[in-house]
Amino acid sequence: MSSPQPNKPHNNHQGFIHNLDTSAILTVIGIILLFSGAIIVTLLAPRYVDPTWTSPSSSYQVQMYEISDPNLYISSSTDGNSSLQFIHHLKDKETLLAFHETKTLRIVAPPSLTKFITHNDDPNLKLTSHLMLLRKPQKTKEFDAIAAANELLETAKKEWEKTNSENKESTNKEKKNIRPTFVVLELYEPGTSNVFSVASSEGNVENWVDKNFTIIDDTLQHPYHSELGVIYVNNPVEYRYSSFTFNNTTGWRYDPDGKPIKNIEELKSHALGFRSRAELISLGEHIYAIEGCWYCHTDQTRTLVQDVVLNGSDSYPAPPSSANEYIYQQITFPGTRRIGPDLSRVGIKRPSRDWHKGHFWSPKTASKGSIMPAFRHFFDDDPRGTAKSNVGIPNYKFEAVYQYLMTKGTRITPPTYAWWQGKDPLQTKRIIEGKKEIAP
Amino acid sequence: MQNTTAKTTTIYNDTPVKWMLYPSLIFLVLGMFLGVFMAFNTFLYPDYFSGEYIHFGKVRPIHVGSVTLLWLLSADIALFYYFVPRLCGVPLWSPRMAYVSVALWWSSLIIGVWSYPWGTNFGWEYAELPTWVSFLPIKTITMVAWVLIAINLFATIATRKYIKMYVSLWYVMGTLIWTTFTYITGSYGINLVPEGISRVNVSFFYVHNLVGLIFTPMGLATAYYFLPKLANTPIYSHRLSMVGFWAIAFVYAWIGAHHIMHGPMSQWLQTTAVVFSIWLFIPVWTVVTNLFATLKGHWDAYTQSPAIRFLMMGNIFYLITCIQGPLMALRNINEITSKTDWVIGHSHVSLYATFTFFAFAGIYQALPVITKKPLWSKRLAEWHFNLNLLGSIPFILALWLGGFWQGMMWATWANGTSYAEFHNNLSLLSFLDTIEAMHPFWVMRALGGVIILFANILFIINIFNTVVLKPTHDDSHAEETAKEVA
Repeated sequence: MSSPQPNKPHNNHQGFIHNLDTSAILTVIGIILLFSGAIIVTLLAPRYVDPTWTSPSSSYQVQMYEISDPNLYISSSTDGNSSLQFIHHLKDKETLLAFHETKTLRIVAPPSLTKFITHNDDPNLKLTSHLMLLRKPQKTKEFDAIAAANELLETAKKEWEKTNSENKESTNKEKKNIRPTFVVLELYEPGTSNVFSVASSEGNVENWVDKNFTIIDDTLQHPYHSELGVIYVNNPVEYRYSSFTFNNTTGWRYDPDGKPIKNIEELKSHALGFRSRAELISLGEHIYAIEGCWYCHTDQTRTLVQDVVLNGSDSYPAPPSSANEYIYQQITFPGTRRIGPDLSRVGIKRPSRDWHKGHFWSPKTASKGSIMPAFRHFFDDDPRGTAKSNVGIPNYKFEAVYQYLMTKGTRITPPTYAWWQGKDPLQTKRIIEGKKEIAP
Repeated sequence: MQNTTAKTTTIYNDTPVKWMLYPSLIFLVLGMFLGVFMAFNTFLYPDYFSGEYIHFGKVRPIHVGSVTLLWLLSADIALFYYFVPRLCGVPLWSPRMAYVSVALWWSSLIIGVWSYPWGTNFGWEYAELPTWVSFLPIKTITMVAWVLIAINLFATIATRKYIKMYVSLWYVMGTLIWTTFTYITGSYGINLVPEGISRVNVSFFYVHNLVGLIFTPMGLATAYYFLPKLANTPIYSHRLSMVGFWAIAFVYAWIGAHHIMHGPMSQWLQTTAVVFSIWLFIPVWTVVTNLFATLKGHWDAYTQSPAIRFLMMGNIFYLITCIQGPLMALRNINEITSKTDWVIGHSHVSLYATFTFFAFAGIYQALPVITKKPLWSKRLAEWHFNLNLLGSIPFILALWLGGFWQGMMWATWANGTSYAEFHNNLSLLSFLDTIEAMHPFWVMRALGGVIILFANILFIINIFNTVVLKPTHDDSHAEETAKEVA
């Protein structure tokens, strides 16, 4: 077992425990006791003592992460440009939908569905989880939408003429209102439980309503429908696409008259290459970890005036970070060093995708004096990079990091109570201007 | 300790020492080269060499992993393999187990640390070691290697010949237990707690314990063993050293939250961390007092041996870093120093100017014994010390002064009484302005780094020649003589 040991007195291995004197055993026991005491108090206890460690900051945060992110899909038509395509995955009895008329958009529906339409003068926004879509009016056996649409169009025009009649007399051309083009869409039931719709919002703030709304379902269909405010999809139109061949390139593009996407497998297939925002945020977090962004950037607005000012908007200070902002992250990067600015409110301070594109490509050009390395391997056309992916999203890695960054500071409270509108529940501004110190 | 019977009765097997020590020296220089590379490529000429695999975020963890795990931790383990048997009067319990652990240790750590550019970073500070690299469970292999090392050393202590345990053995036992639990907590336990701040809390517990409960007791065990050896004088007070040991055992595990002062962490936990951080003065001052008092009356030894100079200078830096450390935990000082270069300065003083200096001293003492040859060149060793000191001081001062100044500049954003004023301050002095102001300090840091790197290249040349060349004059040193340590 070991090297030769002549005249070894009494350290045979049989006497292992015997040879451990009391002080050694006490040392071991003492160390373990002291250490486990510290672990219990500093590591295990806090999350039971302080509920913010595990509870969400708002219902909006929960719905963004759990309802919106997994059902918003991003890709690009492979027609050579990098314009992004956004798709909502609508689920019957889950996704809340609104069919909301505007001044120029009117909706026709068969008599059984008219109750779902929110008219302009309705006091409440009508929401439903009954899966329906809008389309160009069509004539079917049950309901002649085209006729109804024409009728509605005429009424709308007449209404407009009536309210703008004084314009007729006006000879001043510039003052004269021009009648807008009215659009009429038909509300219909697609008859399936899953539909992919065109997503109009590509930002990081979803449609949100927390007052003057009613959910006109017979029963509660999903737990989040009972929240005080809800995320919803407005005026969904089915996403259709058509394939094309041009010279020797084949691809697909958005086409309102094309064929629908059949299922989630087709959506995520090699041909279409969509990925959900949840997947992108998760990948973005992974990239943030492996690229070591967190060695230079912190992700916490500390309870210091300098921090709430650094991260604040032009008019309002940013609220200090609280524990519950981070509960949806696998890894959290509070950081120990700031060679680059703090990122905990970057979703509000720098929401522009184009700005981030330019900045990742060449930080020294985008912000003078920056020492940040260029991250050209986030982009598809970096000659030295390995970023070439078989995912349809152009600049896949960039998009992932961008979506991850856009979660920061944007999801603390619903947009209607957001700090950048001066509605900070912590009253940060009042505190820093009064006491010059932010209460814990 | 007890008597000098070891001289005639025990033959120590030093092969495990060599296998741990020699590779670690390569990573000392490689790791520091990467440090110097970053000092230029990130701070002086940002992104001059650019690209996916060599930008700052990819190189920094290799630098940190190389100098902490591959150099300092490995060298300290080598010194454990060297002095634990000698303090126990018995050979290492199982050299075969040591060989297995050495093989697992180097293979997992080298692959783990140097795989970061290919995207294996685990994402938590100091715990970057990947769970998997391809089919290799790197974290687990490292863990197994460490447990084998711990079992081996514990068994050696348990089968020891000398009844009374010298303080270094206490520190060794502490290190082995603490590290095992800390490592498991930071690498595996972190994924068992809820997402968010709970994980951050575990992470900072791990971060501080890695330094406080691994490198500190390891370094102190080494210092307590080698200073009496080198100066040929007993330790001043064994009792004082025990006070220090138990103070470390009591205090360190509580202070992780001071890394996130003013952050999104419960205030009572921050306060707890502040209180325990201040108590850190106790273990530190016992160590410093004890080491200085030991050398009292033997200061001629300081002039004669570069190893003693490393030890005592390390001791002074230890005092400095451990005055600085607890003070940084105070809320008002933290407000200025936190998130600046000051913090980087602190970690370099403790891990470089203190514990690496201690390890150098240990290596200078152990090397002639394990090679049975005198050191190739004492003069080179003296230059090694001189240049290290010459490089460390501008290096550390640059980080501290620069960091403090940057913190003061950030604080000016809070001058005034209304948000308009605050915001105006920020537009007058933007964040990037405060980065640009660091340039002269970064130049100074880079120069210091170059000097340190050069000093350590001299060091490994010296070691290499000692190991490889035939001794120029016959001086068998009779180092097997176990001098009385206590």
